Amino acid sequence: MITWWRQPWIRRLMTSLAVVAVVELMTGPSGSFAAPTTGLIGSYNERVSVYGLFVGRRWMVFLVLALAFFGVWSAWLRGGPRMRAALRASTASPRDVASRRPVRWGFYVVLLVVAGFLPHLVNDPYWQSVLVEQIAVFVLLALGLNVVVGFAGLLDLGFVAFYAIGAYTTAWVTGALPTPAPFDVHLNPFWAIPVAIVFVMVAGILLGTPTLRLRGDYLAIVTLGFGEIITIFANNLYGITGGSYGSGGTTGSHPIPHFSIALGPIHYRWTLAPVPYYYLTLVFVVLFIIGFSLLEHSRIGRAWTAIREDEVAAESVGINPLKYKVMAFAIGAASAGFAGVVTASQSNFIFPATFTLQLSINVLVLVIFGGMGSIPGVVAGAVVIQTVSMYLIHTPPAGFQESDLYMYIGALLIVTMIFRPAGLIPSRRRRREIVLSEAGESHADEVLTGDVA
Amino acid sequence: MGGTVEEGELKPRWSKTVAGVTSGALLLMAVPAVGFASVANAAAKPTYTIGYEGPLSGGYQQLGLNMVFAVQLAIQQANLNAKMPFKLKLATFDDQGSSTLAPAQAQAAIQNGRLVAMIGPAFSGATEAAEPYYKAAHMATVSPSATAAALAKGSQNNFMRVVAGDDVQGAADANFLVKTHGLKSLVVINNGSFYGAGLASVVATQAKKDGASVTTYTYPTTGSCGGTASVSEYTSAATQIVASHPAGLFYGGYYCGLGLLLGALASAGYKGTVMSDDGSWTTQLIAGTTPTSAANGVYVSEAGGGNANLTGKLATEYKALSHFTANGATYAAQAYDATNMVIQALRDLKRSPNVKVLRRQLIGQLHRMTFRGVTGVIKFQGNGDLSRSSFVDFGKVDASSNTIVAVGHS
Amino acid sequence: MGAFAHFLAGHFDTLRLEFWSLLVGGVANGFIYGMVAVGYTLVYGVLRLINFAHSEIFMTGGFASYFVLRAVMGTSVPSGWATFGVILVGIIVGGTSGALAATLLERVAYRTLRRRNAPKLAYLISAIGASYFLFNLAGKEFGRYNESMPQPYINHPVFTIFGAPVQLYYLVIVAAGAIMWLILDRFVAATKLGRGIRAVAQDAETASLMGVNIDRTIAITFALGGALGGVGGFLFGLGSGVVYTMGFVPALKAFTAAVLGGIGNLRGAMIGGLILGVVESLSIAFVQAAYFDVVAFGILVLVLLVRPTGILGERLGRSA
Repeated sequence: MITWWRQPWIRRLMTSLAVVAVVELMTGPSGSFAAPTTGLIGSYNERVSVYGLFVGRRWMVFLVLALAFFGVWSAWLRGGPRMRAALRASTASPRDVASRRPVRWGFYVVLLVVAGFLPHLVNDPYWQSVLVEQIAVFVLLALGLNVVVGFAGLLDLGFVAFYAIGAYTTAWVTGALPTPAPFDVHLNPFWAIPVAIVFVMVAGILLGTPTLRLRGDYLAIVTLGFGEIITIFANNLYGITGGSYGSGGTTGSHPIPHFSIALGPIHYRWTLAPVPYYYLTLVFVVLFIIGFSLLEHSRIGRAWTAIREDEVAAESVGINPLKYKVMAFAIGAASAGFAGVVTASQSNFIFPATFTLQLSINVLVLVIFGGMGSIPGVVAGAVVIQTVSMYLIHTPPAGFQESDLYMYIGALLIVTMIFRPAGLIPSRRRRREIVLSEAGESHADEVLTGDVA
Repeated sequence: MGGTVEEGELKPRWSKTVAGVTSGALLLMAVPAVGFASVANAAAKPTYTIGYEGPLSGGYQQLGLNMVFAVQLAIQQANLNAKMPFKLKLATFDDQGSSTLAPAQAQAAIQNGRLVAMIGPAFSGATEAAEPYYKAAHMATVSPSATAAALAKGSQNNFMRVVAGDDVQGAADANFLVKTHGLKSLVVINNGSFYGAGLASVVATQAKKDGASVTTYTYPTTGSCGGTASVSEYTSAATQIVASHPAGLFYGGYYCGLGLLLGALASAGYKGTVMSDDGSWTTQLIAGTTPTSAANGVYVSEAGGGNANLTGKLATEYKALSHFTANGATYAAQAYDATNMVIQALRDLKRSPNVKVLRRQLIGQLHRMTFRGVTGVIKFQGNGDLSRSSFVDFGKVDASSNTIVAVGHS
Repeated sequence: MGAFAHFLAGHFDTLRLEFWSLLVGGVANGFIYGMVAVGYTLVYGVLRLINFAHSEIFMTGGFASYFVLRAVMGTSVPSGWATFGVILVGIIVGGTSGALAATLLERVAYRTLRRRNAPKLAYLISAIGASYFLFNLAGKEFGRYNESMPQPYINHPVFTIFGAPVQLYYLVIVAAGAIMWLILDRFVAATKLGRGIRAVAQDAETASLMGVNIDRTIAITFALGGALGGVGGFLFGLGSGVVYTMGFVPALKAFTAAVLGGIGNLRGAMIGGLILGVVESLSIAFVQAAYFDVVAFGILVLVLLVRPTGILGERLGRSA
């Protein structure tokens, strides 16, 4: 006989109340130290009057929502498996079709065409610049982090450092930093691409070689520290980086130039307009996607999988884990470096305040939500999350502030981990690993449990 | 991306502006709808759009709302004036005061084919980030509140502001410390924000000119309230400061960081004078200092123009429109002046039918004209700064009564 | 060369002049780091993972004690026994709220995953999510600026050590920290629940066969670590006020301290905290304060590379 409060339906009711209460808190009005809001009632001041309690209809909303949530949950528990089976039966054939190669390729071509027309479809200056600055750049970052987290299973919390290095390198070689540029001429940002990519890869190797021996959770903290240190230096080395004034220094005189091409008869100069930048970035996104998927199915990709699944076993068949991990770090950094070049050139000025830990976490969320190790997944994750975020910022609903975004992002991380750990579009390998791990047959992230080398 | 508004570099007088944020959010939705009232002769007159860029949501929303209602008031009055040869509309662009979001808003603004000039951007960091776009489009931006010294540059600058730049304030602050108080050794600290760093560098330069020895530091982890403030960092900063035995200290930045530093200075046994800027001119400084008594006797300063308010009939009309009390609406008067100045310039011009040409004409006209507004006589220098010399108000924190007492001006 | 010698001499001068006051401040900071580090170490002992959300438990302790102290004290400054009572209230509230927050966190972000036997990366990510969620929620509900904690005393130097003043605030930290740590040490070493924790840390499977309730033991471990973290938050807030991001840097330092002392090792956590606090404090003589956090990270990386098992060595499951 279980005590009354341990009965499943009572617990379910309590959990429903708690979940809805938290959601009400999250979406309610903001408060202050003097007048913290309760979310349920509106504001502290309203609550002071008993009258306000009944005027504010949030109580009723709360109860109705909680009961509805409870009802859906109970119904799902009763009929869920049946519904799921029915759903699976109805979607089985498209999925089989989708796995056939010509269909899949056709789908990709359609997507690419849509992506090509996208800036003309949205045709709104805000969304056009969002397409470049907030979506394409973040797709690049997510693709890079996916190599590190998804392919090699290394949790990197300082990924923003590579993005910053890419951007600052661009500023440097184009002569926009207080430090004199390395070459006599101030380079076109096109030339900054190889330089920046080499720089971030070297940085990846330098950071990775000592730290990748560490076990996974230590690695997370060390990379986090690295990201912070890069920001601290960017913020303080006034003579080199321009300090907190950003690339322009105090005078803000010399902006980072835009891209330009002068190839024989073709002359083209990018400007502030976002659409040409969108196409430039799109080309590179496609290149990186192709490169990374080839890599995933190559010997290197298989070595990463082997290390991720069981480092000891991988080592015993002659794979040098450190070498491949460093490789993942360097390769993943490359696309972040390129993203840095685009950002720097497109916005003309860079500020250290852009390169925060929050940005690292943001990119991590894109990868996790989209599906670790799955290239279509992370691209979809980046597009979906960034679009929703920028929509919320552009047209904030009542009670929403931009700073609340990371609250939702944190919640999304937990919810993803609990309900869909393999992400939106899971990679096949990762899903198999999680199933195996949950069945207790293997560990999905042997790297993390492996001891210090 | 997003993140917090790292460089909220305007002059927030929080004590005045905290109230009414939520009511403002509702009112804001009404803003685009209330473009112009009178329909008489509307067909005969051309319609121009004036833009406003600033924080209309997020943590600094109240400041943006203060300004946008003043802009709207000016436009409404112009539209009611039958002699006005054109009709005006308002378009708002919400950058949340963030330099990350500002460029997108600027691009949206310049692509609006009827938009002739901008009021704003409101924040210095946002202005710095958005200005390349406005400059490329030859659009005049008249800011009611962006004060960073570095923004004023060049000649025929498309950026102009109706408030004094931080260089005026910084120089006055340095003179106040070195000349008025006779402090011969100063430590000058900034919080690493675009605003704080700019102001601190002006103070350091002027103090050296005045003959004081100056040491400068940056403690930037707390870019604004809610950065990852490391208190131990302030403890160490305080120890370093005390070890160099300065007679005075200037802090360029906001009350959040200053509060932490003051607490650390008190426990390190610092006895010298402390001065800060308008970012600290708020009683929040006292609440945020541990113990609150450590904030006692701190001097703060603010450019004189920052105190102007809409008064009389204007205040009544402003209140009717916004439901804010004009007396507490920081920067409303400046926004009102900026808008009226643009309207006046538009009126004085032989207006080209081509908006792109008209935008250029406006920049020239704004630089040529002298305008008498509610905040005083406004005339721009080539770099966009005011040409009149402004005075700077000084205040002193009294922690026991939780007030800031005015102690004169430069 | 001469310039360099001059540079060094100048800095050593600062060190010589300020040594004792830097030391005192460092020790006080170190006690807070140590208290928070204990939370990392305990959880690492039973679950073999870093509780990334521990910083938010620290923040919870600070916020809860702020609100209670504000309600209890109003604007008056108590004296005598009342001061002692208010500090005690703060410690109890900080500890309880920290323990509650930690238990809740374990229920939501960890136990659901553990039930499913999720891969380890999932725990880390879930904890990072929890951390971001919690501090931003606090920022939303209470405002994103700092607020000073009501002061139960007027802080003043009580006595001096070699000319360095020792403030009342530092004494409160050291006394509270030492007592809490001693209680915890005894608890883990001598009680039945403590033995359970050690058994789970040593070998969870065997422990469960021997009749130890794993879920409950893990919850208790979180609660214990959370209690100390929460008290740490209160003591920290007493000196520098509360703000929603207050947990981030101290927790990172505390983690460094835990690794420095040897993760899983209770005494190591405290000693690591003290060493980190003192070294960091003394480094003021040599680096600009802006690079302060770089020093702590530098120490962390060095320790991880040179002696990853820490000073006292990892001790998962042995008696303290």
